[in-house]
Amino acid sequence: MKKNKTKIWVGCGIFCIAAVLLSVWYAATFNDSRLVVPMDFGSYAFTPKDLPMILSITLACGYAIALFVLLFVRAGKSRRKVAQTNITRKINPKLGFLGLLGFFGLTGFWTYSTIGAVFPFAFFLFFGFFGFFYEGRMSGTFMDERFRENAARAQLNSYKITFVITLAVLIVLCQGKLFSSLEYTLIAAVIALSLTLALGLFLPEYLLYRYDHDDQMDEGEE
Amino acid sequence: MAEFECRLKKYRLLKDLTQEQLAAQVGVRRETIMRLEKAQYNPSLKLAIDISRAVEAPIEEIFIFD
Repeated sequence: MKKNKTKIWVGCGIFCIAAVLLSVWYAATFNDSRLVVPMDFGSYAFTPKDLPMILSITLACGYAIALFVLLFVRAGKSRRKVAQTNITRKINPKLGFLGLLGFFGLTGFWTYSTIGAVFPFAFFLFFGFFGFFYEGRMSGTFMDERFRENAARAQLNSYKITFVITLAVLIVLCQGKLFSSLEYTLIAAVIALSLTLALGLFLPEYLLYRYDHDDQMDEGEE
Repeated sequence: MAEFECRLKKYRLLKDLTQEQLAAQVGVRRETIMRLEKAQYNPSLKLAIDISRAVEAPIEEIFIFD
């Protein structure tokens, strides 16, 4: 994407966030926090003062949907380009730092104890983004038959490892209730599956890098 | 992987080609040619034929399987 377009998208995102924050402030100050705090929509009656909240939320949702469609289209284009050129996609290795988002999974312990929500544990999946470190290092590589063979080997080995871990964890968890509680057992299963899936995202990139570079460790030009 | 002897380096030098040039001719990376010369990579039939044409030597004289 061109830098100008990126700036426009980032600008729109900032505008949407600012619009939501401003309308929340307006609703909290002048509209008894309607549409901000949980309310009974069965008895909802529209008032003109609700308009800022309705408009800003619609705008933010529209932006999120447009961003999702854009990313989907771009991913398709990138895949077609890779198929045409036989060269791996260009990715900045620094994107691997997105893997740090995985630590948000730890917030699950807090949300579970306060509001009983377990979905934040799914954020552990983001640990899989550490794979971008290795994909970035391999970006722009010509995909010859040895590279494709290594990629297939890496994928198969990562499937094998993640399935074995998943099976082992499920067998252990199914032996009995964790801390005598079915709820804790299921939470442990969610955490284990999220971490295993993250490993499944990370391993193919890591193993491909290793296979490709271990081969080159003892290389030397004639 | 099947054990084999590879005489690619000999035929490549006879044709006065570098690994890079041969790799470009047969559509692979230089690293792949390097692994082939060390007999550490078993090529596909297509790659073996392409290499044999590039160095103008019969396949069975480049890749020798016991």
